[in-house]
Amino acid sequence: MPPVIQFSDVVKVYPLRAGDVVALSHISFEVEHGEFISIMGPSGSGKSTLLNLMGCLDTPTYGDIFISGIGVRAMSDVELTNLRRDRIGFIFQYFNLFPLLNIIENVSFPQMLKSQQQVDEKRAVEVLRAVQLDEHLYTHTPLELSGGQQQRVAIARALINNPDILLCDEPTGNLDSKTGASIMELMIDLHRRGSTIIVVTHDPNIAEYTDRTIRIVDGRIAE
Amino acid sequence: MTGIFWEISKRNIRIHMLRSSLAMLGIIIGVVAIASMGILGNTIVQEVSSSLSSVGDSVIVTPYAGGGGGFGGSNNMYLTNQNFQQIKRSVAPNVAIPVMSSSAHMKVGVGSDDIVAAIYGLPPDDTKKLLPDLEAGDYSNGNSGCLVGTTFAKDHNIKVGSRISIGQNGEYGTLRVTGIIKERGMSFDISTDNALVVTKDWFENAFDRSNDELNEVVVKVTKGDTADIKITIEKQLNRNTKDKTVSVIDSKATLASIFETFGMVTTFVTAIGGISMIVAGVSIFNIMMMSVNERIKEIGIMRSIGTQKKEVMSMFIYEAAIIGVVGSVVGGLLSIVAGYAISSLMFRTTEYLFTVATMLSVAEGVGFGIVICILCGLYPAWQAANLNPIDALRHE
Repeated sequence: MPPVIQFSDVVKVYPLRAGDVVALSHISFEVEHGEFISIMGPSGSGKSTLLNLMGCLDTPTYGDIFISGIGVRAMSDVELTNLRRDRIGFIFQYFNLFPLLNIIENVSFPQMLKSQQQVDEKRAVEVLRAVQLDEHLYTHTPLELSGGQQQRVAIARALINNPDILLCDEPTGNLDSKTGASIMELMIDLHRRGSTIIVVTHDPNIAEYTDRTIRIVDGRIAE
Repeated sequence: MTGIFWEISKRNIRIHMLRSSLAMLGIIIGVVAIASMGILGNTIVQEVSSSLSSVGDSVIVTPYAGGGGGFGGSNNMYLTNQNFQQIKRSVAPNVAIPVMSSSAHMKVGVGSDDIVAAIYGLPPDDTKKLLPDLEAGDYSNGNSGCLVGTTFAKDHNIKVGSRISIGQNGEYGTLRVTGIIKERGMSFDISTDNALVVTKDWFENAFDRSNDELNEVVVKVTKGDTADIKITIEKQLNRNTKDKTVSVIDSKATLASIFETFGMVTTFVTAIGGISMIVAGVSIFNIMMMSVNERIKEIGIMRSIGTQKKEVMSMFIYEAAIIGVVGSVVGGLLSIVAGYAISSLMFRTTEYLFTVATMLSVAEGVGFGIVICILCGLYPAWQAANLNPIDALRHE
């Protein structure tokens, strides 16, 4: 089985008027199935660029990236979008739920994109139960939920298409410590059940929950 | 999958109800402006069309009245019998009808007011051909009978059997009304609604006219084209281009020209109405751009979790289409109400409101409204779909 993520000598350069900015320089690493990894580094080190490349929101300037063995460098926008939909689950710091949709619709959204069908309520309820969200909240809108509850919904949305990877960008950054801890417990639980999870964080406490930490400094992996 | 984006579009319109309603109001005004102008124009055309319908396919030949004051050209008052015979031969097998006309003083019954009205003299055999529809009575068999127009009959309370003495003191004789001619409206040949029609013999005797003093000849075209008949007559009678004998009017061509002019006027006023639609379109564009700008982050999230560009685009096009369809349909319904009011007030009839042509104007207005809305939503939708997901996600 190929690694879930494989970076091979990846360089990302942003061409700016004032001069090219090298955000990532010759990065190579692999993430195996079932790993729970944290990516840490100071601001401007290239963490977000790395996350965008892992999430197929961007493509490298040089080098190759493989997601579950599929090379992404030459992919079209449509192919990258399908890859994000089918193989990657995103969890954001600010939850990023759709305020116009209720919880069931929010969770079902990626699945509706994939199946081109209407809401599969049964599947949505299944994943919402997995993230331990109270059933009476299912028909509410996100703004009627607390931060912790919203993040559980966001995790359920990320899980609904059974992705190969869960990419988490500061998942507890907008939560109090107690709620943050409960979210991390949920992550550990998902990891135990076989999910591959990559967490980008500033917080060393969060990194302690993970199996391995990749440190980025000035666009390079620090040994 | 259409479902969820359609649902988001509907909900977005609902939560921005005031803004969406104002955009719809612009479209409603635009559609009402276009459709009402169309209804007005079509009603005028149909009103005039019904007035001119009796003209049918005829060619009217009158004495040449001069070339506008320049050199050359005769100025005849009448057509001669020879002219008539030439016309008759050249248009056969179509019927040529000689017409004499004048105006005369007359009285209906004893002690009534003096009336001045037009009076036409027609050969009895041709009267039925030129005036085939009578409202009441029958055609005159003898010289002492006459037909009267429907307006003339109503205005002066004339019935079949009434007697009309012609001349200030009845010096031309008395005629008995044998029939009332059905309303013909405006005509190029003879206008009978407010006139009397007598036999040609009676007319010649009463007004001391000879057979060489015809006012016009009407050719009822049943075979061939009116334009060809016109050319044939002109070739026969206006051989000398500098000294013309007759003027020939092709009623069909004249009618077509009138309708063309009305059509142009309708198009022009509808185009003026279209300006308000363009203004409404600009407001839709503005609102859609606002909607995109407010939802950049949402677009970024959608794109990051696997929404295709075309799906993002469809969401904004649905929004523009909902505003367009609702606004345009409401505008269409209101324009029918406005058309009803205008027709009732201006034309005192609404019989032309629910015709195909008028309803087509409403459909055009509605269709134009929807198309404008969708077109004005295209660019904002395209811009939304083509946002960089990373930049969109960072947007606050």
